[in-house]
Amino acid sequence: MTAIGARSPRSDAEAKVRGLANYGVDYSETGMLHARLLRSPAAAGRITRLDVEVAGRMPGVYAVATAAEAPPHRSGLILMDTPFFADDVVRYEGEPIAMVVAESERLADDAVSSIVLEIEESTPVSDVGQALAPGAVLVHPDLETYQSVPGAAPWPRSGNAGGILTSDPEGVDGAFAAADVVVEDVYVVPRQYQAYLEPKSATASYDGHRWTIHVSHQFPHNVRTRVAQALGVELSRVRVVGEHIGGAFGARLDLGLEQFAALGASMTGRTVKLVNNRSEDLISCMSRENATIRVRSGVMKDGRIVARDFECLMDGGAYAGDTPYLTSIALLMAGSVYRVDTARVVAKSVYTNTAPTGAFRGVSGTYICFAIERHMDQLAHAIGMDRREFRLLNLFESGDAMLNGQVLDDADILSEAFDRVEEVAPWAETGTGMLRGVGIASAIWLTNPLAGSATVTLHEDGHIGVSTAATENGSGAVAMGVRQIAAGEFDVAAEDVFITLPDTDSQAYDAGSQGSRTTHVVGMAVHNAATQMKTRLFDIASGLLNLLPEDLELRGGNVCMRGDASVSVPLAEVAGAALRSGGPLSATGSYSVPLPKWDPDAADGLLFPAFPVPTYHVHLAEVEVDPVDGRVRVTRYVVAQEVGRMINPDGVYGQIQGGVAQGVGYALWEGLENVEGRYTRRTLESYGLPLAVDIPDVEMIVLEHPHEAGPFGAKGVAEPPIVPVAAAIANAVADATGANIVRLPIDPEQVLNALDMRDS
Amino acid sequence: MFRAVTTVDAALRALDELGPGAQVIAGGTDVMIQRMTGSLSKSEPLVHIGRISEMRGVSLGSESITIGALSTHRDIRTDPILAAHLPSFVQASSTVGGWQTQEVGTIGGNVCNASPAADLGAPLLMAQATLVLVSSGGERRLQAADFFLGRRQTALEFGELLTAIEVPIPAPGSWETYIKIGRRSAMEVAIVGLAARFVVDGAVSAARLAFCSVAPRPMRVPDAEVSLVGTMLEDEAIAAAGRLCASAVSPIDDQRATASYRTSVVPRLVRQAAEACRSELV
Repeated sequence: MTAIGARSPRSDAEAKVRGLANYGVDYSETGMLHARLLRSPAAAGRITRLDVEVAGRMPGVYAVATAAEAPPHRSGLILMDTPFFADDVVRYEGEPIAMVVAESERLADDAVSSIVLEIEESTPVSDVGQALAPGAVLVHPDLETYQSVPGAAPWPRSGNAGGILTSDPEGVDGAFAAADVVVEDVYVVPRQYQAYLEPKSATASYDGHRWTIHVSHQFPHNVRTRVAQALGVELSRVRVVGEHIGGAFGARLDLGLEQFAALGASMTGRTVKLVNNRSEDLISCMSRENATIRVRSGVMKDGRIVARDFECLMDGGAYAGDTPYLTSIALLMAGSVYRVDTARVVAKSVYTNTAPTGAFRGVSGTYICFAIERHMDQLAHAIGMDRREFRLLNLFESGDAMLNGQVLDDADILSEAFDRVEEVAPWAETGTGMLRGVGIASAIWLTNPLAGSATVTLHEDGHIGVSTAATENGSGAVAMGVRQIAAGEFDVAAEDVFITLPDTDSQAYDAGSQGSRTTHVVGMAVHNAATQMKTRLFDIASGLLNLLPEDLELRGGNVCMRGDASVSVPLAEVAGAALRSGGPLSATGSYSVPLPKWDPDAADGLLFPAFPVPTYHVHLAEVEVDPVDGRVRVTRYVVAQEVGRMINPDGVYGQIQGGVAQGVGYALWEGLENVEGRYTRRTLESYGLPLAVDIPDVEMIVLEHPHEAGPFGAKGVAEPPIVPVAAAIANAVADATGANIVRLPIDPEQVLNALDMRDS
Repeated sequence: MFRAVTTVDAALRALDELGPGAQVIAGGTDVMIQRMTGSLSKSEPLVHIGRISEMRGVSLGSESITIGALSTHRDIRTDPILAAHLPSFVQASSTVGGWQTQEVGTIGGNVCNASPAADLGAPLLMAQATLVLVSSGGERRLQAADFFLGRRQTALEFGELLTAIEVPIPAPGSWETYIKIGRRSAMEVAIVGLAARFVVDGAVSAARLAFCSVAPRPMRVPDAEVSLVGTMLEDEAIAAAGRLCASAVSPIDDQRATASYRTSVVPRLVRQAAEACRSELV
């Protein structure tokens, strides 16, 4: 029996399909109160009047909170720049100003409507160019006084730039001067909303000393840290219990509504629930940031890339969130996949009067890949070389180093991936014909290395229990990955393993479902726990079987004599025996991925220094554009992805198909634009998520190069399939229309204009 | 207040009793959303007519086809009489929202809601349909062109109910289509819609071009129609008609598309429709 590689159904499938799974929004307690936020209607301004007296006196209202009732200090994920409620100044439309706690949602709504709020509006800083212009209004005039969180490495920031990464090696200008051809492009991408099914919510209670928060969240331990930080209390006074998650995609990694529910609970002594409606969820969500990317490269006529200038300006919104970290991705991608002799890289996360932005699957990698891969096509055109051949000529090989100095020992996988794509979709024969085109894009991506843990217990019926704060955000990393790894460790069926939901009181730290880390990191923690537990397990079984522990193995739910399964004792019996000899069989394992070597002098402000456990990706898109309405149809999509080893093929295929779907949406339809700081698309109806009928069937080529550390060789899978999608599609549309596609989404208007320009 | 009626008479009595504020509801796919978002008042009474069976169904007469106002988009999408005689209606109804909307949304609701983007507005105008409006005072009949007055404005008066739509049977040699432009392949509100009909007898003897979503109400472009008469839908004739259409429309910028995109799509739609007809009939 081996659970590894089995197409076992996910452990939560039936409960989710039947509607039995409880999500954060479903959580309720008897006697619970309901909260509602008053959010700023203005993008920028000064609060001149905030009168909550009438609201506070309304029947059924238990508490009204404003900045006056909240802790006075600022908090933040890396930089403490965020007030609990806007006090004097509002910095984005949707910023919380006050909260009402009442007997029902309706009463809370009514009371919020009766709060008197007057704002003296000012012109918002609504885009990055405006924010960085000389003499720009500062979103945070007191930036220099803000503290970073304890333990964070120092990084440069000033003016409206909350994070600045700079890498300026000597000789870049000289290399440009020696180049045969220099090409410069500027790319612009919009925000992308994570658009999970379940809107954000939080339910909190308070017992006079400690808070308990029920929430569907990717990173319960971060909720604990951040709520404690926002309330100004020790983190152990906060307990976070994780519920089923109705989609997340990075939007549930930082605080959402938890701190407000917690404040409401301690103000009233009652359980308080707070749920976003969809429109406020969209408007206030930490979406993928919009960005402007400038790439300039010098190439030789023989195809070598000798110099590059790369500038990435990212709109962090009104508060920094994690965006100072994300600037590092620019360095990690600007000279990877394809060799570049020397490069200058500058990336800034920039404050504006818009909703704070944050993590979304693939983070800044999606648009950096878009910019670099579009630019690669432009470079190939400039020197008259075939686009694929130009890529292969410059392709990384094992032993090549990224701009951070990290050497990739297995980069030869890239060439294998290009070859495998060529086998199913030959470059010369794909995307040919009128109004059709083909594009190719490649990426190297990481497996997030941050720490995790798991406790593994052999129960007295022979089932394996895994207790971990790792969260199942829908990817299957827990419901398939961790579960099947545990089953594989003990050679039982996946169905014989159950996994508890997260609870920060009973489980040690886990860094959350982000960056494809769960299967790899928590899988390793399970492996470490199982390894420990097996010592005692074999010890006890050896007494039952009268054999030496080293002569035993696990097979099919039994402990057997090595090589002779007829001499065996069921795991259940061993678990029972353990209770009479030293106590239950249970062990806890921990893991974090050792960081690869990198050059600390490679850049200034490098907060996220390397790509641990890298994986390799090649995507090919074939498109057809409609000459009547300018719409793009993706007619074929091929992915070659390195995964280490598939723990569950359906999980891998599902993540690739899903990542491509989100990438197609990003490439063709989605986007949050603002006018004077106000989003123009404010509902899911207008937002433009792709439909199933708009998504191609993805042809998948899974490459397996097992990771030496384990678990069973698995590396991160779920995040990267979105990274090259917009790049591949944009290259295909450019091929079909002859236009230099420089802006996402590639809307029909852009395509029609391109066709008109070509025809005129 | 919610009052459900099952006959036209009961509906008319309810409308008279409840006065001008009463809102008629059938499938509710527009009314409920507008009450939620505040563009209709939440406190006004609702008269539910969805179960008036005499107002549902399609029948073929000697000169016209009668479509009950409560026929759902699904009814229209699947109706054999319409498929044979008025395919543009079938095409229009099959692009309204998603299947859930088509299951409950009605042609009468689509028409009376009078959204500039209403899919059925264009075929109604193109086919020169007559709307049957009934009140306790009697019945009156209006041409579609006289019914649509502006964005969300119709000639429907208080106490009147749209009970049926009568569409003349197209002349022999007629070819028609409805083409809708949206951002995605389904579940879209029209960015531009075109209902086109060409009557071909060797050459084009009549043409009708009606658009939605390019003006406050559905509109025909008579100049363009006339310009096609007598042609064989040659490329130049199509292009000329397309130019006339583009200069006749007055679209707006909204969150779905810009006015300039809509304008540039208009002649392309004319070409798509005319070329499709040419390949079949000319």
